[in-house]
This record gives sequence, structure tokens and C-alpha cells, in this order.
Amino acid sequence: MNPNLIPAVDPAGLPGPAWLFHILLVFTFFLHMLFMNLTLGGTLLAAFAHLRSGGRRDDFRGALAGRLMAVNNFGISLTITTGVAPLLFIQVIYHQYFYTATILLASIWFATLILLTVGYYAAYLYKFRGAPTRGQGGGLWLGVSALMFFVIAMIHVAVNLVSSQPEKWGSLADGGWNVLGDPTFWPRLFHFVLAGIAFAALVAVWWAVRRAGAGVDVEINTEIARYAWRWALWSTVLQVADGFLLLMVLPKPVLKGLMSGGLATLGPLTLAIFIGIGLLMMLARASNPVENPGLVTGTLGAMTLTIAIMSITRHQVRALYLEPATSQHHFQVVSQWGNFLLFVVLLVAGLATVAYMVRRVLTSPATGEDAA
Amino acid sequence: MDYPIWDLAMGGGLLMAIVAIPHVIVAHFAVGGGLLIAVTETLAVRRDDPALRELARRSSLVLILVSTVFGAISGVGIWVVAGLISPGAISALIHTYVWGWALEWVFFVLEIVAALVYYATWDKISKGAHLLVGWLYFVGAYMSLVVINGIITFMLTPGRWLETHAFWDGFFNPTYIPSTLLRTGIAILMATVFMVFAALKTPEDRRASVLRYLGWWLAGGVIVSYAGYRWWEAVLPETVLALFRGAAPSLASLAATRHFVLWALAVTLVVGVLILILMPKLTRAATAVVLALAAFAFFGGYERLREGTRKPFLIHSHLFSNGLLVSDIETINAEGVASWSGWVARGDADPVSFGRRIFKTECSSCHTLDGYQGIRGVMPSFAEVLAVAADDPPGSGERVFQAECAACHADLSFAEMREVLPSPDEINGDPEMIYDLNVGMVSATIAGLRAMGADYAAADRDRMINTAAMDYPYMPPFVGTEKEADMLGQYLATLIPQKGGE
Ligand code: HEC
Ligand code: HEC
Repeated sequence: MNPNLIPAVDPAGLPGPAWLFHILLVFTFFLHMLFMNLTLGGTLLAAFAHLRSGGRRDDFRGALAGRLMAVNNFGISLTITTGVAPLLFIQVIYHQYFYTATILLASIWFATLILLTVGYYAAYLYKFRGAPTRGQGGGLWLGVSALMFFVIAMIHVAVNLVSSQPEKWGSLADGGWNVLGDPTFWPRLFHFVLAGIAFAALVAVWWAVRRAGAGVDVEINTEIARYAWRWALWSTVLQVADGFLLLMVLPKPVLKGLMSGGLATLGPLTLAIFIGIGLLMMLARASNPVENPGLVTGTLGAMTLTIAIMSITRHQVRALYLEPATSQHHFQVVSQWGNFLLFVVLLVAGLATVAYMVRRVLTSPATGEDAA
Repeated sequence: MDYPIWDLAMGGGLLMAIVAIPHVIVAHFAVGGGLLIAVTETLAVRRDDPALRELARRSSLVLILVSTVFGAISGVGIWVVAGLISPGAISALIHTYVWGWALEWVFFVLEIVAALVYYATWDKISKGAHLLVGWLYFVGAYMSLVVINGIITFMLTPGRWLETHAFWDGFFNPTYIPSTLLRTGIAILMATVFMVFAALKTPEDRRASVLRYLGWWLAGGVIVSYAGYRWWEAVLPETVLALFRGAAPSLASLAATRHFVLWALAVTLVVGVLILILMPKLTRAATAVVLALAAFAFFGGYERLREGTRKPFLIHSHLFSNGLLVSDIETINAEGVASWSGWVARGDADPVSFGRRIFKTECSSCHTLDGYQGIRGVMPSFAEVLAVAADDPPGSGERVFQAECAACHADLSFAEMREVLPSPDEINGDPEMIYDLNVGMVSATIAGLRAMGADYAAADRDRMINTAAMDYPYMPPFVGTEKEADMLGQYLATLIPQKGGE
């Protein structure tokens, strides 16, 4: 009889050293976060703004909603596309924990597919309806879309918590909803939601400031920038509080591991906290961002950096959660460096192609007869 | 085999089919659409043809809405469902081909970005730049087919990989190139049948010529598919081919599927040539639907054939579809499933509950209780035994025998079986005896499934195993101790239909 619920490590092993896959996982997860923030935070922000505008596109909040969702028609696709890579790498290094967690929450995990489909098409409906200008209908779809993405975030946080706590699997097998009782669930969820809103708001500010700077619709762009800037400020205020709360409610061994991990764990964490507080100060410094485009770009850059560093901390927290389990299992490693090299070369070539394509498109505007 | 099991009444196989079938159709459309749209726009620019331009443009909207949204989500969906219903199996596939999947992702990124840009820039950028984006989309989409097809074909014909376990030996396996050709043809077919709908909106004076243009694509797609298919058959190993071809195919249902595939392709060609090339006036939404259904039938039939010939494996001769590795059979038989998996060990210790967990772990990737391939239905029941014995009306007994008994009693004819069976009166008079008989059959079957493990374990691990020579060619062996086999038997005994239904 085997009392151990953790499945065995896949005997096929790893085609490269484990650290390589940890790096790839964190890096691609970070990319995914950038677009995920736009999707989740942007849609939530758009829904609020739309509501406040009374559904009118000539109101600056209505215009902001329209803008955010125009970005999201691409952003959602890119969220999925960039999500595929961490989904691959997590299955490579954490397959036993990940699959088990998804099976324990099987129905709701499967439901993400349906929620995502609904949320995505609802976003398109909002766009095609053009409803804000016509007054009605669009807001409903926007609300549906925001709700779907929020629920998906809840499910992802739940799956992550379950996958990192194998010692709870036994009781979860008897009732998956127990995960909602995990003290870290809500602080963790809001850590992502608030980051999403702040990031999406900053992107909106950045764009509005650029437009205003170029002399396009200066008045409305100035209003959009001020409005979104305030969203970024207040969600970051809450975020810092929520972040400390999350830290406090982490299980003791995890917190201890984080604090005693030396530079490796304390470095990123402290840095992220400092940048976070720095962000707050930058956000609080200006009330009219249009007058200070440099500050806006700097803030957006700092925010992106924070997300990158926090992706590392998040990964370390999971590693600490799982430490008792993973220390029992070892992958057999048979590196395929040639294939890794091929991957890197093609990745670089692929990204270069994408960059070339985007540049070519931006530099070839045409109208009328000459246009495609 | 050591993961918990998702209790899904409809069965994982069915759920997978619901997600995977639309996905593969859309995914091939996305590849073929890339080619057709890029060529069509190129021709439109060269000939300054607004009708072709409109065709490309409208098709690109469908491409965005259907393939970048639904295609991408359902593609992730296949992974999600596979992880839920056969985690061990999908894990093995992922770990064997990590870098293959990673390469696939690179092309996927290119494909999606190009698709979004292509769609968004109609009327906004120069013709040359737009064409470039269209062709880049095609490169990304086609390359993802080229990569993923290596992994898919590896699953059926791992070839030299079985011996070397080397990445590229498995990737460039015997069916790789023929199958790439076949899938190229299928992609063109899928794109054509979708684009016919977009072409219906062409103004009256140009409709016929645009439809005829698509007709030639369709004919080309059929020819390439047919060539690819025949080539694919030609390179299949003897033992796999024997499952569905030759004078006495070992799996009759697969032989029937093959006929279906070829007929569906013929119908696609005939309908397509008729409505698109010869009489474009006949093309309406309704006839376009018929054409699309015929093409889907061909494609779906082929996928079923390919999956069917691979059963019971996920990776042929290496890993069964319930996650069991051929190389683990002997260990698990010696130590037991309960020491292999904590999830089997966990819970009530009474034999029936235990047996139920074993069933979930080893059998439920293919068998539901009462739904698709329901276990209750494939076990012998009181009513069936009675029907065979009574043969009333004459002829009905033979039919029941063929449908319900012959799979396990291939060595007996109907007449011989009736000789062994008690009379209908005796059967009706002593249902207990028949229940015991049925229970005995089921435990003997499990014993047979367990014994089959030795045949697999003894097979040459370096080459493809001939499943047709096995006692149950479509099932993995049962693994576990004799005591566990007995507990599985006790559980299944509770499911055997008795007199009066239950
Ligand atoms: C790889 C898929 C697969 C797995 C796993 C599997 N079976 Fe089957 N089984 C089949 C198929 C296919 C049939 C034929 C079904 C039909 O004729 O409808 C079948 C038929 C049967 C039959 C009827 C006898 C026959 O040969 O038609 C029994 C009994 C049975 N399975 C028991 C089991 C048990 C017990 C397990 C677990 C130890 C199991 N199966 C695992 C695919 C599978
Ligand atoms: C799941 C597979 C399976 C199915 C389906 C099945 N049997 Fe059997 N049956 C067996 C096995 C295994 C034995 C035992 C053979 C042995 O002991 O050598 C057996 C034994 C028998 C025996 C006893 C033979 C003897 O020599 O004592 C009879 C009678 C019989 N089956 C009738 C039927 C009839 C009638 C049907 C169809 C309604 C049927 N079986 C369907 C597997 C099956």
C-alpha cells in the first residue's frame, strides 16, 4: 500500500537541466502576465469606466473603455498565446502537482475553457456592437467579459494553491471548494487583480499622454490620462497593503524559507517592495500626467520591472511550498542541447520576424488605391 | 496510473472528442486558409481583381474569429482535457517532446501575431506590406503543422525511436512525410469548404468565376489528400495495416472506417466538381454545407482510423492510453497497483470499493459505466445468455451471439455455444446460476487480461509490437496482483445485469 498521494516523477525525464526549465517557466510566465494584466485589469477597468460614462463614447470614460477593449481584441489572443508556453513548462517540471490539482478541481478547471470562449466573444460583441455610441447593449457584453476573466483568475489561483500543497490533497479530494478557505486565497487573487488594473491603467495613461503630446484630441486625452492615473495610484496603494497581508498569511515554513533564503529570495522580494513603494511615490507626484510624459514612461517601466521581479518571487514561493515534496523526487536528465539551441535560434528568428513585420506595417501606411 | 481520477459520467473519451474534433478541423482550416488567402490576395493584386480581394478579405475575418479565438482556445483545451483524463500519458508525451512543443510554440506566436496584423491592416497599409504579412502568416501556420505532425505520427509509428529513444528518430518516423502530405491536402480541403461560404457573397457577375477558382483548389486538395493517404497506408508497418486491410482484417470496424474514408473523399470530389466547377449556379448555402460535411466526414474518418489503429497505445509499443508503460507491467504485477498509486490505496478497504478504484485507474480512460463503451454493456448479461439459448425468433440468437459473445468466444460458433448452454427453461428457472456463470466469465476475462501482460512484457521492446496477435488487441493488459484482479472482478460483478434488468 502506498500512502503517498504524489505521483512519481515522469520516467521520461528532462531533456535539459532543471534550472533551464525553471528559467523558461518564469520568463514565459512574465510575458503571459503582461498580456494577462491587460486582459483582466483592462477589461475590469473598462467595465467600471463604461459604467461611469453612462455608456457614452463622447464621455472620456466611455472613450477609455473603447480604447482598452480595442487593445484587448488583440490582447486576449496574446494572453492565450503567451500562456501556452508556461503551460508547457509547468507540465515539464511540475507535472505531478499540476495535473493532480487540475483533476481535483476538474470541472471548474475545464470550465475555464468555456468561460474564456464566452469572455472573448463577448469582448468582440462589445466591439462590433459599437454600442457605446448607440447607447446600449455593449455594456452588458463588457460586463460579461470582465466577469468571465475575473472568475478565470479565481480558478487559476485555486489551481495554483492546490498544486503547491500536496499535503492538503487528501481533504481536497473530498471537497474541492475547501480551497476557498485557504487564508492566502483572497489576498493572492487580489494581488493579481490589482496589479492588472494598475498596469492596464498605466498603459492607457501612457497612450493618452502620447496622443495628447502629438496634439491629437488633447482635451479628451488629458482627461483620460488623469482618470486612469488615479486608478493606477489607488490600485497601487491597495496593492502594497495587500502584498504585506499576503506575506503575513503565507504558511510559516514558506515565510521562514523566504526570509532565510539569503540574497536569492530576499533580494528579489526586497527589490520588488522598494520599487513598489517607489511606484507609489511616482504616482502620487503628479496629478496631471500629460504635463509629465517622462514620469509616465518611467512609471510604466518601473511597473513592468516589478512584475518581472515578482514573477521570480512567486516562483520561489511555490518552490518553498513544494520543497518537502520535491526534495524526495529527482528527474533523470538527458540533455538535448542541440534541440535547445534550435529552439533559441528559432525563437530569436521568430521574434525578429515579428518585429520586422510590425515595423514594415508601421512604415507602410497607405490609403485609397494604394492600400491593400 | 498514479494520478487521481476525474469521475466523469460521459467518459473522458467523449469529452476529448467534443473538444478535439472541432479543433482539428479549425486548425487545418487555419493552415490551408493561410495558403489560400495569401495566394488569393496575391492574384488579386496582380490581376487587379476586386472580387478575389473581397474573397481574401472576408475569409480573413472568418480566420480571425474562428481560428485565432476558437482554434487557440480549443487547442489549449486539448491539453487541458488530456491532463484531466490521462495525465500520465500526456506527461510522457510532453516530456519526450519538450523541445518539439517549444518549437511549435514559436511558430504559433508568429502565426497568431501575423493573423491579427493581417486582419487589422486591410485598407490601411500598402499592398506589398499586407501581402508580406499574409505570407508570413502562412509560414507560421504551416510550420506549426510540420512540427506537430512529427509528434502525432511518432505516436502511431515511433520507428527507430523505440530502440534509440532519440528525438529525431521519433520525429522523422516512417509515416512522417506521407502524413505531412496528407495533412497538407486536408488543410487545403478544409480551407476551400469554409471559403465557399465567403465566396457566396461575391457579386452576381463574378460569383461563378470565384467559385470555379475555389473548385480547382478543392480538386487539388482532394488529389493531394488521396495521394497522401495511399502513401501513408503504403508505409504503415504490416502489423498495423493488417488491422484494417487484407482479406481478413483483424478489426472489422476499422476496415469499415477505411471504406467510409475513401467514399467520403470521392463524394467530396464529385460534389465539389459539380457545384463549384461544372454548375456554380447550384452553389447555395445548403449545397456548400453538404460539401463541407463530406469533407469533414473524410477528415474525421481518417483521424478515427489513425487513432483506432494505434489503440490500445498512446505511444505505440511504449505507453498505453491509460498511462501504463510497457516497461512497468511486471513491476506492477508483482507489487500491486495499490503500492504503485496512493490514490488507489486511499479510501475504503472493502474489495468492491477497492475494485472500483482499480477500475477507475486502469479502465476508465476507455470505459464509462453506461455511456460510450460502457462496461455494463460489454459484460455478458442474463438477458443475452437467455436470448442466445432461446433463439426466438430463429436467427435472433445468432445476432445476439455475434454482437455480445463472439468478442470473447471467437473459438466457438453459435451452434457450439448453444450446445454448451443450458436450456431456456433451466436458465429462467435458475437465474442465480447464470449470474454465477457471468461472474465467472468476467473474472476469467480479467485473468486473461492479466496474462496478456506477460506477452507484452516478453515482446521485443525495440520494434513495434503486433497487437493483433494479442488476446484482446484493443485493450491494455490488466496490471496488479492476483488479489487485486479478484477485487476488480468483485466490483465488476456488482455491475453485471441480472434477471429483470438490474
Ligand atoms: C485502450 C482502451 C481500453 C482500456 C484501457 C480498457 N478497455 Fe476494455 N475494451 C476496450 C474496447 C475498445 C473494447 C471493445 C468494446 C466494444 O466492443 O464495444 C473493450 C471491451 C471490453 C470488454 C468486453 C470484452 C470484449 O473483448 O469485447 C471487457 C469485459 C472489458 N473491455 C474490460 C476492461 C477492463 C476490466 C479494463 C481495465 C483493466 C479495460 N477493459 C480497459 C478498450 C479498452
Ligand atoms: C467479457 C468476455 C466475455 C463475454 C462478452 C462473454 N463471455 Fe462467456 N466466457 C468468457 C470467459 C473468459 C469464459 C471462461 C472460459 C474458460 O473458463 O475457459 C467464458 C465461459 C462461458 C461459458 C462456459 C463455457 C464452459 O465451457 O463452461 C458459457 C456457457 C459462456 N461463456 C457463454 C457466453 C454467452 C452466451 C455469452 C454472450 C451472451 C458470453 N459467454 C459472453 C468470457 C466472455
